[in-house]
Amino acid sequence: MNQPETTDPVERLLQEQNQYVNDDGFTARVVAALPRRRRTWPRQIVLLGAAAIGSVLVAQWMPWMNLPSIDLSALFAVNFQALVPWMTIVLVVASIAWAVVAALQWDD
Amino acid sequence: MTDADLIARVLSREDQHAFAELVRRYQSPVRAFLARMTRGDTHLADDLAQETFVKAWKKLDTYRGGSKFSTWLFGIAVNEFRDVARQRKELSLEEIDQVAPEENQSAADTRSQLRLDLTEALKRLHSGERAAIVLCCQNGLTHEEAAQALECPLGTVKTNVMRGKEKLKRWLLGYQDYEPA
Repeated sequence: MNQPETTDPVERLLQEQNQYVNDDGFTARVVAALPRRRRTWPRQIVLLGAAAIGSVLVAQWMPWMNLPSIDLSALFAVNFQALVPWMTIVLVVASIAWAVVAALQWDD
Repeated sequence: MTDADLIARVLSREDQHAFAELVRRYQSPVRAFLARMTRGDTHLADDLAQETFVKAWKKLDTYRGGSKFSTWLFGIAVNEFRDVARQRKELSLEEIDQVAPEENQSAADTRSQLRLDLTEALKRLHSGERAAIVLCCQNGLTHEEAAQALECPLGTVKTNVMRGKEKLKRWLLGYQDYEPA
């Protein structure tokens, strides 16, 4: 980083007092602290791909027509037989949503 | 080997030796800059500098080459400093001691007492002014590059450099006599 010549005495003073900092093992410490570099884009693609495949499978294979009607009394009565199909759908959709959000917000 | 060559080697082969060369090239300006920003706390400055380079290593694939590598690196260093300054009152923007040296002393001792050491004078500057002065006047960044590193408008950098230099001139009364070595 070469400095242009200046006629300003304060700038000259600043440049003059800008002394080189000896390495003294700093570079070695940095290199020792380096983590393994991770490429973010393959992970994002894997997550988005999994979410897309999951969405297609859900749309294709879920027995949408045979789902029991939503019955709030079953929820309060903890009637698992009536709730299982809906819980499954909620879990699958939530998982897909999580994958999409995680992919979009991925930050090392 | 140019910075671009070294960066390409890091990205393609995860070459730590290439990155070490980049660290060797830029450790001095980054550590000196952070030492100024932390008002001489060299231990803290070195910790921040180390974190700066580790972040640079992690995020190197986001460096697009649109600016100089040093500018990009200073940008990370500035953010590291700001993160710490938010937690430490003595470093934060608002808490900077801006008390100027007393200017109403007798003529006899005024000159010697007001002739502040440059390091001490820089400590008195508002951190925005200090950052702009150190980047532009000591590290040779243009105002545009400094604005990019500091993530602030160009006009703010120009104002901070101008105000900072005015304050330094006022505080370093002997600057007129200064003859470079």
